[in-house]
Amino acid sequence: MEDFLVGLAPPLIKGILLGGLYVVIALGLSLVFGVMKLINVAHGDLVILGSYFAWAIMGWLGIDPFLSLVVGVPLFFAFGFLVQKFIINRTFRISLDAALIACFGISIVVQSLCQVIWTPFNRSLLTDYRLLTFAVGPLTIQLRYLLDFIGGLAVMLAVREFLRRTYLGRAISAASQNEPVAERMGINPNRVYSFAFAIAMACAAVAGVLQGLTFSFSPTSGSPFLIISFGVIILGGLGSMAGTFIGGMVFGLTQTLGAYFSGGSLLVQSIAPYLLVFVILSVRPQGIFGR
Amino acid sequence: MSETAVLSIDRVSKSFGGIVAVKDLSFEVQAGQILGLMGPNGAGKTTLLNIIAGTYSPSSGRVNFCGRDVTGLPAHKLCHLGIARTYQIPQPFTSLSARQNILVATKYGGKKAAGMEHDKIFDLVNLSEQKDMLARDLATVSLKRLELARALASNPTLILLDEIAAGSTDTELPRILGMIEEIRKMGKTVVLVEHVMKVMVEAVDRIIVIDKGEKIAEGTPDEVMKDEKVIAAYFG
Amino acid sequence: MKIPRLTTLASVAVLVVLALFPVIGVSLSWLNYLFSFFIYLALATMWNLLAGYTGLICLCPAAFVGLAGYAMAIGTWVGVPFQAGLIAGAAVAVLFALLISYPVFRMKGIYFAIGTLVLPEALKAWFSFWHPVGTAYQGGGAGYAVAGVAGITLGEKYWLALAIAAASILVVHIILRARLGLGLTAIRDNENTAASAGVNIFRLKLSSFLIAALIMGIAGAIYYIHNPRIQPTSGFNISWLLLPLMATVIGGEGIEEGPIIGAAIVTFLRFLLADYGAWSLFIQGIILVVVVVVMPQGIAGLLRQVGAYRFPLRLFQAAEAKIHKT
Repeated sequence: MEDFLVGLAPPLIKGILLGGLYVVIALGLSLVFGVMKLINVAHGDLVILGSYFAWAIMGWLGIDPFLSLVVGVPLFFAFGFLVQKFIINRTFRISLDAALIACFGISIVVQSLCQVIWTPFNRSLLTDYRLLTFAVGPLTIQLRYLLDFIGGLAVMLAVREFLRRTYLGRAISAASQNEPVAERMGINPNRVYSFAFAIAMACAAVAGVLQGLTFSFSPTSGSPFLIISFGVIILGGLGSMAGTFIGGMVFGLTQTLGAYFSGGSLLVQSIAPYLLVFVILSVRPQGIFGR
Repeated sequence: MSETAVLSIDRVSKSFGGIVAVKDLSFEVQAGQILGLMGPNGAGKTTLLNIIAGTYSPSSGRVNFCGRDVTGLPAHKLCHLGIARTYQIPQPFTSLSARQNILVATKYGGKKAAGMEHDKIFDLVNLSEQKDMLARDLATVSLKRLELARALASNPTLILLDEIAAGSTDTELPRILGMIEEIRKMGKTVVLVEHVMKVMVEAVDRIIVIDKGEKIAEGTPDEVMKDEKVIAAYFG
Repeated sequence: MKIPRLTTLASVAVLVVLALFPVIGVSLSWLNYLFSFFIYLALATMWNLLAGYTGLICLCPAAFVGLAGYAMAIGTWVGVPFQAGLIAGAAVAVLFALLISYPVFRMKGIYFAIGTLVLPEALKAWFSFWHPVGTAYQGGGAGYAVAGVAGITLGEKYWLALAIAAASILVVHIILRARLGLGLTAIRDNENTAASAGVNIFRLKLSSFLIAALIMGIAGAIYYIHNPRIQPTSGFNISWLLLPLMATVIGGEGIEEGPIIGAAIVTFLRFLLADYGAWSLFIQGIILVVVVVVMPQGIAGLLRQVGAYRFPLRLFQAAEAKIHKT
């Protein structure tokens, strides 16, 4: 029994830490969904774009990917703002389906762009500290997973404080809860959407760095992240930060425990999150914590 | 439950999360009767209508229609059995013409609906001139009448009207009262939710007053209007 | 003898002419273009049935295509002739649709879209690690060459593709003029009202879904007879969603002739950009975004708005009146 628990500890811890990564990735999707009721199906690909951007800067300037965020975050922010303003806002006037299709188009554009520029081969953000591990008592923890967890917490708290304390943040919260009322109070919904998407993209940039440190990636790596992110936010329930965090953990654990109990089967690891998302969608799309 | 009751609501309750919308409600509607549901805003009237129409299932209690337990049956099944409804805010099939809108009800409303004559229905609701116009091009007033036409097209035994007179002008109101009378002459049973008092007083046989999800009064319009509890609910 | 309508005559005439192409010596490269066009047309017509007429934005065509293709390929590996394999493929696609229909139709709106998106991704992952019947290729994943199809001429494959394309158009044509078409439009416009008017939402959506799965499956299997190598990344490729989606959006969603126009343009684009690798997808993505923003009604929608049909329609009606008088 004791052996069983001891064996269980590493994947358990790894799964929880990995949850932090999934939280950061899901945050951007959650923000856009909460405010605009739109699932940006390009979100996973945009996170991978973030990974590629960090990789490119690393290769070009030789600086640490976290440092590249100094350029990456504002760049992605601006890019997101423009995309929302000139493309997605316009599709909202047509229908929500049109917006979904536009996002799909963007997904294709981003995927193929990454393939054209950086070829279909796998890449990784190979920093010196990437493979570092350290011991906490009898357990070994990999640094990059710890960074994921810390990153997840940090970004989540930052976004939460932003939504609570800044005028723009409160406008975004108001618009996501009750748009007609917000509009009557003088908040321009299109403006709010543009900023919300911009922030989502900024989160994607950060997520891209963390993701690139944790896993290797290729132009088509985005889709699994999109599905997992969606699973995280509907499991955790929209509008609940704690729920999102728990959702992230559940998906992290699904992968690590799935790998552990199946003897490292890649099949189980890949399929388990998809199965989970599908089951949640069929049974209770509003999530465990959702309103 | 009495022999001639078309509809019997037996201790029905409905909660959404923590909010109780309808609490332990019971009443009967006899064949050919017109029953009015009255009450302040948020009292639970539309929820009750939705339960009867099959959009919601009750949290507890039973709904009986023509002697049969129909609790929890989906909306389309209830339509086949003979319940039709209108929506407070018209919900037409926007890309179809008025005629096609009611064709859906005739074609899908079950065996009893086959052969319903559209022209007669359009005459009754005064929409004959707009038969071939697309629903998305119709004015709200016409859309409300289309709601009624669609409900009639499936040849129901029981019709549920949700605020059919809301927002109508002084000239429209008599026409609406006339339509309700026509429906009664057809032998149909009606349950209607209404805020417009004239309808309650002139067109309705019995009234049930609901406040905060509970029945607080039941009787003829005269009885109900003088009831202290009703006055308190509205003005207290 | 009852004289058929002009539109019926014209359609049959076009069909006959197209069917004669392989026999009258049309070039092989043209037969190739048309083959692809027919496959894309079948997929687009069905996607339009789901999205444009039933209101279901279905993101899982790749699941139907991939499963049908694999069923057929595996069939040929266990010694089944490709014709039976084709039927098996269609059957597998329909069975799959039936299997997932109950959970999937519980999902509304965007949840349905994502739910259907998960399916081909999950299947792609599964087939990447699973070898159902031995393996034709080395390495991980189920890759197969379709056996026993080397002897089929391009002409015969062309006829198969033409058949499924014609069938798909005919099916939609019949549905739209039958009770089912009315019910589907009602569901698309307002699901709750449709239910209260007696429409069995689940059953109608299922009908649409199964028909689409069947025809998309057959089209996919036919494709893999012509391109006889299947792998997870090809069978469940995002292109199987992109192609019918693009064709429907460009051609005009919810319009009967939309997919025909759209499929023609998409086929043209594909062959034009064939040598440019990933740039091809890039340009297609850009076109999709531009069209959905600038011309959401599609080309057919635009033509209808502008009244471009009025003149030819009047000619048509005059001609028809003349024919029926004599």
